[in-house]
Amino acid sequence: MSVWVKTHTLPNPHTHTLGLRAKPALFYADMNAKEISDIRSRALAEAESAKTAEALETVRIRYLGRKGLLQDVMKGLKDVDPAERAEVGREANALKKNLDTLLRQRKSALDQSGSGAPLGFDPTLPGAWREPGTPHPVSRVIEDCVSIFARLGFTVAEGPDIETRYHNFEALNTPAHHPSLDALDTFWLDTGACLRTQTSPVQIRVMESVAPPVRVVTPGRCYRRDTTDATHSANFHQIEGLYVERGPVSLADLKSLLAYFAREMMGSHTDVRFRPHFFPFTEPSVECDFTCHVCGGRGCRVCKFSGWIEIAGAGMVDPRVFRKVGYDPETVSGYAWGMGVERIAMVKYGIQDIRTLYENDARFLAQFG
Amino acid sequence: MKLPVSWLKDYVDFEWTAEELAEKLTFSGTEVEGIETVGGTFDGLIVGALVAAEPLPGADRLRLCQVSDGRETLSVVCGADNAVAGAKIAFAPPGSTLPNGTAIGETTLADTVSRGMLCAEDELGLSDDHSGVLILPPDAEPGTPLAKILGGPETLLDLEVTWNRPDCLSVIGMAREVAALLGRPLRRPDIALNESGPAVTDLVAGVMIEDARLCPRYTARALTGVALGPSPFWMRRRLSLSGIRAINNIVDITNYVLLECGQPLHAFDADRLSERRIVVRTARPGERMRTLDEADRALTPDTLVIADAEQPVAIAGIMGGAGSEIGSATTQVLLESACFDPASIRATASRLGLGTEASRRFERGIDLAGVEWASRRAAALMVEHAGGSLAPGVIDAFPGDTPARSIPCRYDRVRAVTGMDIGNDTIASILESLEIPVAKKTADACIVAAPSFRLDIEEEADLIEETARIHGLDKVPATAPVSRIVPGASDEPFRAVSFCRQTLVGLGLSEIMNYSFVSPALLDLFGAGDADRRVALPNPVSADQGFLRNALTPHMAETLGRNLSRQVDHAAFFEIGRVFLRAEDGSVREESRLALGLMGAVERRTLRGKAGPGSADMFLALKGIVTALTKTLHVDSIGFEPEKQPFLEPGTAMAVYAGKNRLGGLGLLNRALRSEWRMRGPVAVAEFALEPLVVRAFRMPELKPLPVYPAVIRDLAVVADESATHGQIEAALLNNAPDVLVGIELFDIFRSPDIGEGRKSLAYSMTYRSSEKTLTDEEVNACHESAKNALRQTLGVDFRE
Repeated sequence: MSVWVKTHTLPNPHTHTLGLRAKPALFYADMNAKEISDIRSRALAEAESAKTAEALETVRIRYLGRKGLLQDVMKGLKDVDPAERAEVGREANALKKNLDTLLRQRKSALDQSGSGAPLGFDPTLPGAWREPGTPHPVSRVIEDCVSIFARLGFTVAEGPDIETRYHNFEALNTPAHHPSLDALDTFWLDTGACLRTQTSPVQIRVMESVAPPVRVVTPGRCYRRDTTDATHSANFHQIEGLYVERGPVSLADLKSLLAYFAREMMGSHTDVRFRPHFFPFTEPSVECDFTCHVCGGRGCRVCKFSGWIEIAGAGMVDPRVFRKVGYDPETVSGYAWGMGVERIAMVKYGIQDIRTLYENDARFLAQFG
Repeated sequence: MKLPVSWLKDYVDFEWTAEELAEKLTFSGTEVEGIETVGGTFDGLIVGALVAAEPLPGADRLRLCQVSDGRETLSVVCGADNAVAGAKIAFAPPGSTLPNGTAIGETTLADTVSRGMLCAEDELGLSDDHSGVLILPPDAEPGTPLAKILGGPETLLDLEVTWNRPDCLSVIGMAREVAALLGRPLRRPDIALNESGPAVTDLVAGVMIEDARLCPRYTARALTGVALGPSPFWMRRRLSLSGIRAINNIVDITNYVLLECGQPLHAFDADRLSERRIVVRTARPGERMRTLDEADRALTPDTLVIADAEQPVAIAGIMGGAGSEIGSATTQVLLESACFDPASIRATASRLGLGTEASRRFERGIDLAGVEWASRRAAALMVEHAGGSLAPGVIDAFPGDTPARSIPCRYDRVRAVTGMDIGNDTIASILESLEIPVAKKTADACIVAAPSFRLDIEEEADLIEETARIHGLDKVPATAPVSRIVPGASDEPFRAVSFCRQTLVGLGLSEIMNYSFVSPALLDLFGAGDADRRVALPNPVSADQGFLRNALTPHMAETLGRNLSRQVDHAAFFEIGRVFLRAEDGSVREESRLALGLMGAVERRTLRGKAGPGSADMFLALKGIVTALTKTLHVDSIGFEPEKQPFLEPGTAMAVYAGKNRLGGLGLLNRALRSEWRMRGPVAVAEFALEPLVVRAFRMPELKPLPVYPAVIRDLAVVADESATHGQIEAALLNNAPDVLVGIELFDIFRSPDIGEGRKSLAYSMTYRSSEKTLTDEEVNACHESAKNALRQTLGVDFRE
């Protein structure tokens, strides 16, 4: 910016040093071919002796510039004796052509001799622009999941880490004596609230606040009183989804959604299968296995030779849950699913120990660029 | 639960291999986690008859046994107490090999030659039991290959029964599943009660239930003249396979029936019950009891107990008391089969840390109607295997019967929810195969009566699930996903955080993620003053995870330190996470935060030099990141103000404001903290509230027209004392700025002897431009001079020309 401004505001220093400028254009009315020829000789000599690109430019401006000598000659041409006009015109053209050619040659020659890397220029040195950082693999998986489901029209909904007993358990149809409510399994605070054990309470909060249709994914941190080991962590992340429609939705819709997700997330050869299971808030409940991406389903150590890896819990939303949030299960139906983010990260990137994800070793993190 | 496949075959016929069975069960809802084979082929092992067993002179615990193998009698030294004359035992003759590969020959023990070995269950690979030699049925012929008696290797399925299906915690329950999958009948054992002698009401004074909510049903039967002894071999074998130790015939039968049908039973020595009376009540204040595991337990008033006329004799549904235990002298048995409240049992078991086979079933709910069946089944087995006579009749205290629930199951609904094309008749027959009786069929639905053993079946959705899992979820078709836009849905907050993350990554920082739990020691390092505002976890996993974090910076410092200890000497990190803050009123609120941390040579320069950046460079690097980030996120009117933070080096702590709103702060970690992690160089940290930072991330750009008139740039070299700051100079310039001063850029700081000791020269590039005309030299000169004058007056600085 500043460079641009400068060249346009400062007066051209050369305009003042040009003695020839003192002569008005009319002066050239009585010029002859010889005079032009002399100017040419002088111009060519100056061009020849110019040692720098700047000096060459000065010559060019003096003779060929917008307000240069040649321009004056051309302007004066109409006043020249018609008998000599053709001759003067030819000479002027020759001046222009010869000088122009010489200037280009000289410029090119100067460029050649003055160009090239300065002494000590070392192109093998490392690049000097800073390298980018990396997102955490857990964030990366969450963002990947969110973007896949976004293509199917799901938006993100989030909720608090500290939940009420009602939202985390009761509204999700968890029986009052279910072991998950135990202080052995759940972190209860002195306020009577708990750290959410799942992201499912966000589904309740969404349904409490909007009428169907609902289409959300709910990523977030969850807490369980698991003793930390290679596959368990007392805090971890889930991403759940909820789909509710005014009208019939079936297990087949759920299966096709998860099949789409499986292919997008783990590769185009990934297949899914359902196994019946139990969750308090869905009925029927299923566990969803993905084809083992390591062996492609042939069986390997990672999948314990089954060819399948358990990824998601899912099911049709239990009518008891719909009633809790004031939806009429006779007219509304839907499905929900949930997945462990660390689990997906471990399966997808081949991470052996979940604790690696929370150690934050820069050398580990740098690999997720 | 461990399920012996051969036991399952008592109740249902199937031809599947164990692997096929496992697959069928897994895909109908009971996951088989493993298949195990127990017991070998017992090659060379035979039945031995103990002709004689005498204590071995000179050896305390050893016996010299004479064992007949059917042809000859061998002398064998043995240490088992139960090796008594007359018993039939498992015998490994010389030259045979145990399933674990041990070769058996002749040895000398206590100067006595021993030929062969009497085998305990663990030596035969049957179980872990090494309490005595395996006693075989008395009619076993000596010399018979052991495999003929033991029946060869047994296959066990390791089942994961889901929480809603306590009915599957029994062999008959699983047989019902198999029968439904095959559409074959379920065979329950026939029970023929052989009752005699005085009626049960003559032997038991009465059963009283104080609170029917806690005990909806209690049945008692009485047996007299029982003879205690070992239970039959097949029963002990099944108990052992299921992981239950054999005790004696009476106790074994209660456990056997529990495994068979899922109803926990308890046998009392009736002679040891005061007044032969049963009272089901909660414990009285101060009551204690010694349980079967020999623990003396204090009973809280919410503990449900079985008491006699005087005192508790069992913790209901969990464990019996030692005082009324069946022992070798027992002849009179009171057999309890009852149902207790799941929540009460769960609470007590959890409080006592006492999970038993019985409590595991009661806390999930048992079949109220099956209580009496189990009592009859056990009584019949007792008469058969323990002798004695069963008193006619049963005391059945049943105050809490519930009528069968009638539930309609609409065929169309089944198809709509499952997406499977299941015919009406198929639906009805699947339900009936699960022993869910169809009471009535209409054109659109069948109406079923929910069976008492299926507490989980409450409404239509439950029936749909039953149909789906038996029909097979592999038949659910996967259609092409269809997308429909939900109007009004927005996930801008999530995307704004995501944008913030990407920006930081682009600025060269890597994201870390720490636990939400923090140790009190780490919190103390960053300021012990907030101790009363911290959020403690009442039940932490470990003491060093005892609190919820109230800031991200402590973990950031710790993470940098951990990396340093692993020879990672430079790192640029950020973390996005929630912190937990206690308000004045005791409530806890959570807030999303962003933390930044820089350590070592992380500036833009690639050639970093060994020394790493100094304090000023480090601080300015982080400040630059903060400036770039806030600019990218469109946080307007950013200002930096000095503040004090206990964990930051004094003079380096700056609060960051957006207008009057404090977003957070940054600075250099103080020396004491750095020494915690042996950090030599400066470490810069920052922490911000996330929400105000990202709230304008997607603001629409407001375009301004490009300038029409040229700008004039004049340099200004300000010579000032070292104590003067750029901020002061900039503020003074801006304070007096004419409209046409449109830019001030500091481009150099210069110190030299010419300028003088303790002085510095700051070179500014000042840009002047009018939006109305091209400025003349005179106009610019006037502005520039007036700027200089203002500086001279306010700060007393000089200028270098």
